[in-house]
Amino acid sequence: MNTTSLEISNVSKYFGGLLAISEIDLTIRPGELVSIIGPNGSGKSTLFNVVTGIHRSSSGAIRFNGKDITHMKPYQVTRQGIGRTFQQTAIFRRASVLDNVIIGQLLHTRTAVWGAIFNTRSTRRKEAQTREKARQILSFVNLEDKDSQIAGNLTQEAQKRLSIAIALATEPTLLLLDEPTGGVNIREIDGLIELVEKVRKSGISICLIEHKMRMVMNISDRVIALCYGKKIAEGTPKEVASHEQVVKAYLGECNAAPGK
Amino acid sequence: MKTIEQLRSSPWTAWLALLLIALIVPLVLGGYLITILTIVCIYAIACIGINLLFGYTGLLSVGHSAFLGIGAYAFGLIAIRFGLGFWPSFCASIIISGIAGFLIGIPALRLKGHYFVLVTLAFAVIINIIMMAWIELTGGAAGLAGAPRPDPIPLPWGDVIRFQSPLSMYYFILFFLVIIFVVSYRLINSLVGKTFIAIRDDENLTQSLGINTMSNKLVSFTISAIIAGIAGALFASYNTVISPDSASFMKGVEIVAYLIIGGAGTLAGPLVGPLIMIAIPEMLQMVPEIRQLLFGIILVLFIIFLPKGIAGEVSFLTSRIKSQPRNV
Repeated sequence: MNTTSLEISNVSKYFGGLLAISEIDLTIRPGELVSIIGPNGSGKSTLFNVVTGIHRSSSGAIRFNGKDITHMKPYQVTRQGIGRTFQQTAIFRRASVLDNVIIGQLLHTRTAVWGAIFNTRSTRRKEAQTREKARQILSFVNLEDKDSQIAGNLTQEAQKRLSIAIALATEPTLLLLDEPTGGVNIREIDGLIELVEKVRKSGISICLIEHKMRMVMNISDRVIALCYGKKIAEGTPKEVASHEQVVKAYLGECNAAPGK
Repeated sequence: MKTIEQLRSSPWTAWLALLLIALIVPLVLGGYLITILTIVCIYAIACIGINLLFGYTGLLSVGHSAFLGIGAYAFGLIAIRFGLGFWPSFCASIIISGIAGFLIGIPALRLKGHYFVLVTLAFAVIINIIMMAWIELTGGAAGLAGAPRPDPIPLPWGDVIRFQSPLSMYYFILFFLVIIFVVSYRLINSLVGKTFIAIRDDENLTQSLGINTMSNKLVSFTISAIIAGIAGALFASYNTVISPDSASFMKGVEIVAYLIIGGAGTLAGPLVGPLIMIAIPEMLQMVPEIRQLLFGIILVLFIIFLPKGIAGEVSFLTSRIKSQPRNV
């Protein structure tokens, strides 16, 4: 039986002549929480973008649940069950909180133009179901009392929660979180960590990009460290934290750096 | 009392009142006003189509004059050359503009931003040149004469509604405006409309949610082409003469300008824009050149100072006034 959920093998990405990520191998097993750490510009977000099809990998293969997703478009990757959030919190700022989550579910509600124009009974029923489901997801992320607010007016922390709710609405089995606590007030971070763990307990595997080492050490099963696009360490949080190259990378030195 | 209160607060009351005005005013005042309002209705229909595409899906096409032309010529040619009646020609023209929109949308929508706008413009120019140059088919610059008016509709008590008078044509076109308005209202407020709006607000995020943005944009483009085609066919039937002038690419720019002035992305915008920008200059009997000049200045002023357009700014102000007590 194939127990691997995501399998990235030997993936590289060039932007012109610039090597953004180089020969990365990474597997994420079902139910696992894997963190990716590394200094700014080490290729963490690029790796997410390659996996989700925003960037096409220059070489290597990506498989998800045994299926080759290397050359899929972003929407097709999501339909395989990979949800994601973005580093720059991406939400529909002008729409209501509830509508945001409804849009997240749209891939599961077949929308038909004819049904919409004639406002058929099945369309109305579908809309009601979608709304109900959206409320459930909002209460999962503790935003149920803010459903009618305009998303852009939420606090940064609530926007982060909403972005996770939108991704959850696509019903992923693997969630890629790009700095879920970035730019959030220190006192509010614990709440977001709790949410990440709650998502994981609900059976969704998580891959996390994070800078806050305390968070990474506490919640990860495994940690991957990147530097200049190369994987320099992989292991339990403890192993990676004491890894010589990782310490050096965070102090500004990097053995993988070109020319060194 | 309660029902009156409900009526006052229902948005439909205002729309019904507007419809009532649209029904009664030409009947009472008559004359030249009917002609102006008929033209306003035709432009309003085209604006609703552009509003779906630009206002709600975020795709700016300045080339929808092409679909006005395709709708008009398809209607006229089928009616005149094949001798088919009004309704078969009308339905065929709708289908043909839909197919044209679909086929043009596939390559055009691969491009984004300014490049997409340029392709729509180029398409409009090409279609216009074809209308001028393919003389055997279109009659060239002289155009086509003899596009039919709607067939008389027999009533159960023996009377017949004929569409020879300007007033009857006005009501006929107003009827289509109402239907298309309701269709666009339903679309915008459905999950389909939410998808369009999501693409407008953040295409990358929408795509990351498993939504095929390309096919949704194609649906929006095709619907807007169909609506523009209907406007074109109605104009052909109203005017009975079709010329390449009626589909010059400037018409496509005008439709977008009316929409921006009325308020893109609002329900009332496509009605307000043509009403103000066509009716007022007509009634002031403006010289065409001065009209063009003023039109340009007004458009620039709107884009700089009132980018939401008239309807957008009004609804913004009223929502602020309504929310005032809560803020205090």
